[in-house]
Amino acid sequence: MAKLVLAAGVPHPPRLVYEMEHAPGKMKGEALMKQVREQVEKAAPDLIIEVDSDHFVNFFYNNLPSFCIGMAEEAQGPQETWCPMPRYTVRGHLPLAKALLRYGVNSKFDLAAAHELRLDHSLTVPLHFLNPGMELPVVPIYTNGFASPMPLATRCLALGRMLRKFIEAWEGKERIALIASGCFAMDVGGPLRGWTDTEWSETISSLLLRGQYQALARRATEERINRAGNNSGELLNWITVAGAVGATKPLFLEGDEGSGYAVWKFA
Amino acid sequence: MSVYQINKLLYLTDNDPALRKRMKEEPEAALNEFKLTAEEREALKSGAVGKLYQMGVHTFLLNHLYRYELFGVNRDNYLSRIREGMPYDPRFEQGNMPVQRFLKG
Repeated sequence: MAKLVLAAGVPHPPRLVYEMEHAPGKMKGEALMKQVREQVEKAAPDLIIEVDSDHFVNFFYNNLPSFCIGMAEEAQGPQETWCPMPRYTVRGHLPLAKALLRYGVNSKFDLAAAHELRLDHSLTVPLHFLNPGMELPVVPIYTNGFASPMPLATRCLALGRMLRKFIEAWEGKERIALIASGCFAMDVGGPLRGWTDTEWSETISSLLLRGQYQALARRATEERINRAGNNSGELLNWITVAGAVGATKPLFLEGDEGSGYAVWKFA
Repeated sequence: MSVYQINKLLYLTDNDPALRKRMKEEPEAALNEFKLTAEEREALKSGAVGKLYQMGVHTFLLNHLYRYELFGVNRDNYLSRIREGMPYDPRFEQGNMPVQRFLKG
């Protein structure tokens, strides 16, 4: 039996990597990311499952699954030439990914599977901080939090619950860390760029802090998400992770301009 | 309407170095590789970000116009262009451009 030892949620601003390198101490996210990193270190996982939404690097409208398991033995990224961070090779974990795919299908989640991946910044920025040197294998779970129609948040919550059951049923002995990549509310290059839907962002924080994951999933309709800006669907990754944490409340959750940093720990 | 073709053009500009090169060196010829209506072609050629936005092009893909400085779009004029044709919104006052100045290839 494997064990979920930690869950976390972090955003993935490429700028954070850049600023921490060139002007350390400038961004609030820096201290928060370090806090998450410390908890990950303490939990000593040997495998990471990362729930993420690809930003039109691996997937596009020609072939865009709602949910997809990353099955690659290894993959490179970030692929975006404009992304100011190191390029990495990230190892996958095919046995676990295959077992998750089978378990998901048997649990009535008709998941897609991808044996080749082009990693984008949304997957690699959290790993840059939380998986230094890319030492641990990573199994990505992609949700389509990016292009309408997105999967229902309630469905993502159910996906997370299935994922927890899978982890506990998986024959391996791994200590698993589950990471959600994404913001709560952000408009990246839409007409409202620079504005933050603080009302929505604070609602999300407060529901997460109180462990009211189901209430959050019910309120996170696509209409509400889209009103908060074009990148706000990444909340679905947080909700998927919330589905996996059960009744556990976050050890800490700190907001930062439409984003959040959180850690859940498990005994 | 073939918004898909515009999305595809922008997606490939970011992900296919060969197309990116053609888009920089001979953008009008590169546009011929996609099935665009005359209106769509004109909107792209004139860097009419607002019009492309109203047509339904994905906003994240529109960002590639300024990232790769195509059709006269750059990080300084992108935001005012995408807002063209929209009624004034007080939230615009909080807007600023992305700080990304990292363009390499």
